[in-house]
Amino acid sequence: MKNIEIKIVGKPISAQAGETIVHALWAAGMAESVQTGCAGGVCGACTVTVRYADGKPGGTELACMKPVEEGMEVFPCPVEPDKAVEPVANPDALTLQSVFPTVNRCTKCGSCTTACPMSIPVMDSVMRMQQGDFDAVAEDFTTCIHCGLCRFVCEDKVKPHNMGLWIRRSLGKSQPELKMVDEDSDQVEKEWQDLMTDDKQERMQRAKTFRETGSLSK
Amino acid sequence: MMEWAKESLEKVEQSRAARLQQQAPMPSDTELILENFHPDYSGKERTVKVGPNAGDQKFPLELADLLEADSPLPVTHSTTSDIETDVLIIGGGGAGAAAALAFEGSELNVHLATKLRLGDSNTVMAEGGIQAALAENDSPRRHFADAMVGGHGDNEPDLLRILCEGGPKSIEWLSQLGCLFDRNSDGTFRLRGGGGTSIPRVLACRDYTGLEIMRVLKDAVRLSSTNVLEEHAAVELFDDGNSTVSGAVLYDRKKASLVNISARAVILATGGSGQLRLQGFPTSNHVGATGDGLVLAYRQGCRLAFLDSYQYHPTGACYPEALAGQLVTEAIRSAGSQVVNADGVHFINEMAYRDVLAAAIIKETQEGRGVTTPNGKVGVWLDTPMIDLKNGDGTLAKQFPGLIHRFERYKIDPVKTPVLIYPTLHYQNGGITIDSQCKTEVKGLWACGEVTGGLHGKNRLMGNSLLDILVFGRRAAESVRDQIPDRRPLTLNSLNQFRKNLSASSVSSPAFFPKASQMKLEIGRSAVEAESIDLSSSETSGGFEPPDPFAR
Repeated sequence: MKNIEIKIVGKPISAQAGETIVHALWAAGMAESVQTGCAGGVCGACTVTVRYADGKPGGTELACMKPVEEGMEVFPCPVEPDKAVEPVANPDALTLQSVFPTVNRCTKCGSCTTACPMSIPVMDSVMRMQQGDFDAVAEDFTTCIHCGLCRFVCEDKVKPHNMGLWIRRSLGKSQPELKMVDEDSDQVEKEWQDLMTDDKQERMQRAKTFRETGSLSK
Repeated sequence: MMEWAKESLEKVEQSRAARLQQQAPMPSDTELILENFHPDYSGKERTVKVGPNAGDQKFPLELADLLEADSPLPVTHSTTSDIETDVLIIGGGGAGAAAALAFEGSELNVHLATKLRLGDSNTVMAEGGIQAALAENDSPRRHFADAMVGGHGDNEPDLLRILCEGGPKSIEWLSQLGCLFDRNSDGTFRLRGGGGTSIPRVLACRDYTGLEIMRVLKDAVRLSSTNVLEEHAAVELFDDGNSTVSGAVLYDRKKASLVNISARAVILATGGSGQLRLQGFPTSNHVGATGDGLVLAYRQGCRLAFLDSYQYHPTGACYPEALAGQLVTEAIRSAGSQVVNADGVHFINEMAYRDVLAAAIIKETQEGRGVTTPNGKVGVWLDTPMIDLKNGDGTLAKQFPGLIHRFERYKIDPVKTPVLIYPTLHYQNGGITIDSQCKTEVKGLWACGEVTGGLHGKNRLMGNSLLDILVFGRRAAESVRDQIPDRRPLTLNSLNQFRKNLSASSVSSPAFFPKASQMKLEIGRSAVEAESIDLSSSETSGGFEPPDPFAR
């Protein structure tokens, strides 16, 4: 594989084309220079900024997902978590504004959308938050990994991902309670005892029957 | 893209129309396939010479080395406590978080320590879903029957019953915490099948189910009274001098110092060990999955069970190289994509049990019917375009945004092109032996989640591990609440006894980090120091300040 050179906080390291920044750092013995968690693109630990030698616009990335490129410079960009906010059932735009007063400060610069490594339309979603269109917001933030970059880059202290989670959790708390099925307990207990028999072969046989018919009878 | 596979991809496309009409048979010679091709049967395992399992069951070589290794803790380590708490939970994934939440309202002081950050775990990476018997013709007994057959009859029946009975209640608990699972247009939960389910039983949030659960649990823990110790790795457990666990030694990675915790009860929720990368397999696991809890518990006298059995998820990404080992969820198969070889032949029913399917894929590649990547890896195709053909345009994009997101960077569109897959080390089937109250065999020590063994037998079904961490995480906490022991003195007696029997080894354990990462937890030397040493010798580029990515 082709060897290329990248820089991590100014220090040049050799990397292989096709690998991610995290794997290049591992191979170079510099794993600790960027915080990692899952190395699979969903925990949001390894946020970095990158810039390129050829003047191509850089930006924010997850180091575990971003393949290395010749001349790339990488800077760690860890984002501290923000204080959590208790969700409420049946949320509306007014409640959102009272717990996240900065929601209306958005100046529509679009930095948050550019920063998002999950391609969430963050700025548009902030508009939807202002209007109380919460079902759409919940959909927008389905894939949010809470890396915090949208909040980090916001000069107006808007907290899109925190609000996205608050809205999702609040909608979740508004769901009707799940009805638990009450079954005839004597019959059920007898089925359990039969399924859990000590004889392993018999247990397997009964389980196989149950899988086919939903009961112990054939 | 994937020009190198053009010929094979054409064959896959050509055979697609015919394959749409027919199902591939379930394999009949499963035992033979497993014995000949499943990595569990490769013989790369051995017994260990020390500890409670000395001379009995075999362990994978990589794990056996760790079980027989010495602790990094200096022999002279002090036993004065730095923090006194009622409960110490070790592990910041789903099991640890669920346990922490179950202590709310108990008035017990709870500390949760995690080597990484809260939520950095295998839980957050789970994609396909969580099982719960919610369908009309379903029941916890049917769930039990499916899991028992899937586990080859080796599941502990008592634990499995608790798991299955806890399904509906766990979904209700998560819903009330604010989890949003996918629903049908009539408002009912959308239930999918999984390998080995006899009725659709898997709830999901697209292909980000673990992310949805973990981000809600994490938020709830941050709002709870739990004291969270992030970047605190568990190095060793304390005992009272009489084989009862009484606390733990943690390593604060930021301060580079050891912290002694005195706790009346310790709950191990440290998860799995995929990052040991057994037999050189890639893994779908997070960076911290190095089996630390197994090592800690073993030195205290806990027996380990079923650790000769690991789950190799049949569909790990094989290409591009940057994604190697990462999970391609089983739900993609239950939604209709087929597993086909280089010649476009649908060689096995993709809903076969995970161990059988993984072995069949390995067989296919070893016998020359796989596809070789430019990096020399060999895999078979997961024919993802079939999902939209079977369920209508847009289904794949709507239900599996994660798959699309990960591959689009590499100009691979799973809507139009199959993805190349190969088994990846996914789940530790075995672990610490526990009773139905999550108590280990050592007093003062509880365990829950992937670090335990017995629940899943020798093959876990999809959707049963997300349920496991919730049911048993909370159960461990309830058990501790019911019978919280008194505070005990801190000694290293159990460790010292264990050390007496060790022969000289160059290995130290727990492993803490993947070998490939070259990260080491050097007691007394912090990451910050290590980094500053490295950087002081580096060339300056004249660009030390991070750039403003949005400067125009």
